[in-house]
Amino acid sequence: MKLSVDWGLALSAGMLLAVMIDVNSLLAAHSSPMTASWIAHGLGAVGAFILVLAFRARQQWHCRAEELEKAGPDKKINSPFWSYLGGIPGAFTVVLAAVTVNSPIGLSGSLALMLVGQVLFGMLCDYFGLFGIPRRQPALKDLKVVGCTLSGSGLIIFLGA
Amino acid sequence: MLGYIALALLNGAFIGASRVINGRLGLSTGAMGASLWNHVIGFLFLGVILTVIGAWQFDVDILFPQSYFGSVWNAPYYAYFGGFMGALFVAMNSFVLPRIGAIQTTVLVVSGQMLAGIFLNANMESLSLISGKMVGVLLIVTGIYIGRK
Repeated sequence: MKLSVDWGLALSAGMLLAVMIDVNSLLAAHSSPMTASWIAHGLGAVGAFILVLAFRARQQWHCRAEELEKAGPDKKINSPFWSYLGGIPGAFTVVLAAVTVNSPIGLSGSLALMLVGQVLFGMLCDYFGLFGIPRRQPALKDLKVVGCTLSGSGLIIFLGA
Repeated sequence: MLGYIALALLNGAFIGASRVINGRLGLSTGAMGASLWNHVIGFLFLGVILTVIGAWQFDVDILFPQSYFGSVWNAPYYAYFGGFMGALFVAMNSFVLPRIGAIQTTVLVVSGQMLAGIFLNANMESLSLISGKMVGVLLIVTGIYIGRK
């Protein structure tokens, strides 16, 4: 891992996520988790549209993997049809979370298991280069990083509820 | 119980899949475009599910509309900001993912989420809980430090 702007962005994205979940659950308390998520997706689409317009001219904000950048900055990258469907597993998350949080596992258990699922899935994707992302061999260090952050997160989750 | 555990793990995989697929789309549309597609498709998909299972719910407490948690229409205005945060969140995710990979993105996003979560809940917790959580913070920071280069 190399300390970089990307790191700061990913960390801040996580912080934004925590605030977002708080705010969305407030909306859910006024409706239902799924209805709230539907409203949030609709407003999110409006927000994303504004972002698209605002950053239209800023080519550097178009994310390109380093490998692809080497291929040439003007090289056109095509997207397969499934890459437009990322919103579906994202929307499903709300549905499944509503099921597991109200099960014997509870909120803490759901959060912890979702973390483990995310990390395992990320490892599979990096290792096999799934979904067209660049292949990355995990180093022993990566496992240490995952071990530390997962156990720390687990501790926070189970003390929190 | 085992079924619920499997479901929660699967849910984690769904979060990961959404992240990676949006990251892949960002390669051609840009991170902002990926965020737009994510939200439009998610909006339509949730709309279909809500209709199929008949779960539209704008009034939780329809018997007591006067109560604070009456309906979605008297939610405070900032309850609606989550959507805009989501737009930015997906864009940041999609920008970063192809550059540093799925594991690093996941680890960093989770770390940021946990750290911010502590501060969001801090006011209603006892000191012993917070000190326990600080051990968790220490572990996360150690993890980030180990992986720094």
